[in-house]
Amino acid sequence: MPTASIEVSHLSELPQLAKEVIDLAKPAKILLFKGDLGSGKTTLIKNICNFLNVNEEVTSPTFSLVNQYENKEGEKIYHFDLYRLESLEEALDIGFEEYLDSGNWCLIEWPEIAEELIDGDHLIVEIKVVGEQRIVNISKQN
Amino acid sequence: MSTKPLILGIESSCDDTSLAIIKGHQILANVVSNQKVHAEFGGVVPELASRAHQQNIVPAFEVALKRSGIKKEELNAIAYTRGPGLMGSLLVGSSFAKGLSISLGIPLIEVHHMKAHILAHMIDDNESTPNFPFICLTVSGGHTQLIVVKSPTDMEIVGETIDDAAGEAFDKAAKMMGLPYPGGPLIDKLAKEGKIGTHPFNVGTMDGYNFSFSGFKTSVLYYLRDQIEKDPNFIEKNKEDLCASIQDSILGALFKKLEKLVEETGIKDVAIAGGVSANSELRARLAAKREEGWNTHIPKFEYCTDNAAMIAMAGFFSYEAEKYGELAAAPQARMPF
Repeated sequence: MPTASIEVSHLSELPQLAKEVIDLAKPAKILLFKGDLGSGKTTLIKNICNFLNVNEEVTSPTFSLVNQYENKEGEKIYHFDLYRLESLEEALDIGFEEYLDSGNWCLIEWPEIAEELIDGDHLIVEIKVVGEQRIVNISKQN
Repeated sequence: MSTKPLILGIESSCDDTSLAIIKGHQILANVVSNQKVHAEFGGVVPELASRAHQQNIVPAFEVALKRSGIKKEELNAIAYTRGPGLMGSLLVGSSFAKGLSISLGIPLIEVHHMKAHILAHMIDDNESTPNFPFICLTVSGGHTQLIVVKSPTDMEIVGETIDDAAGEAFDKAAKMMGLPYPGGPLIDKLAKEGKIGTHPFNVGTMDGYNFSFSGFKTSVLYYLRDQIEKDPNFIEKNKEDLCASIQDSILGALFKKLEKLVEETGIKDVAIAGGVSANSELRARLAAKREEGWNTHIPKFEYCTDNAAMIAMAGFFSYEAEKYGELAAAPQARMPF
């Protein structure tokens, strides 16, 4: 059962959703984002980073695998996209576990291939496309 | 007669480990580690990223020396990618560069990966070399940037993507059509058989010179979903036309900003860089601009994708300017331009 299920019909609702996601996640700092291509994972993460006071441009890490941002308070935020990875070994090769254990924010798109490495408190955010709306299911894991 | 410096370039910012040796503007060796390097050393093909770089870097260096016919003691400087890139991968290249610089007692030079993509145009075996100032459109799986290049050491980003890179838009649209990932090159191929303008895809318009491709992705998602509902074989029946429309939409967005920049700056030397430069339609549309008085430049394909030749070339300009790096400099995952 999801902890919360939120309907989003417009991009303008994303700043509010970003706040709710972070409120639900606390004190966990590891968040997994699931959903089809084009469902809006990166766009939601842009809003979350904005809420976390990141001033830099938040772009897709599909190619780079992980982007690193820093917010006004000096906190580090790792933004992952594991879409290109083909095995768990490849996730280990990029030092995925070290990032998870760093205590910094980890916002992870396409986490499925390495999900078994994530065993601490975390939040799963699942985005479903229904018509032109999004149903966002959020569940706490511990 | 002054002798041209011999510079080793080291690139390890993402998937490929590459080492190159340049003499002035002339590439003597450009080794990109893949199965071929491993074949020469009878090794195995490793997984991607940092641990793979560790396995590749020494063999790649040996091959580069062998192919160039020089001894490592003849090198004048070591240039390496300091960033941007994957931290674990960058660390391998930078550590190797620093170790070699200490042991050979020669200067270390830091290179910005994205600037090097642009300076790849200055390598002497390209078909043409742009004159300064020129405009460069860098398009790859990870980047989309419009840059005004005033000199090898003075360049300014005037526009870039705020979400997905153009190459990524190609790959992901292909994936939504059920083509294998990364499918950018396949879209290029299929589009040749298709008609443009047959399917509507929206690329959002941004202010100034920035790009955005995330709305385009959603537009492809909705359109394909709605059409498949009416006809389950829609994609198969319209594959070529869909590819032509997808390609036209992405290239259209790129050219709109490029044309605007040429018009507003009056700069007629226009270059492209990055892996998407291999797209045949992009090349054709750029070449067609020669009719409008543009001097267009497309680097050799081996200098478009990630490679160390461009790092060595960028290193040459810093060497000439005596701009050396420091041993204490840490790699930067996100590096200011």
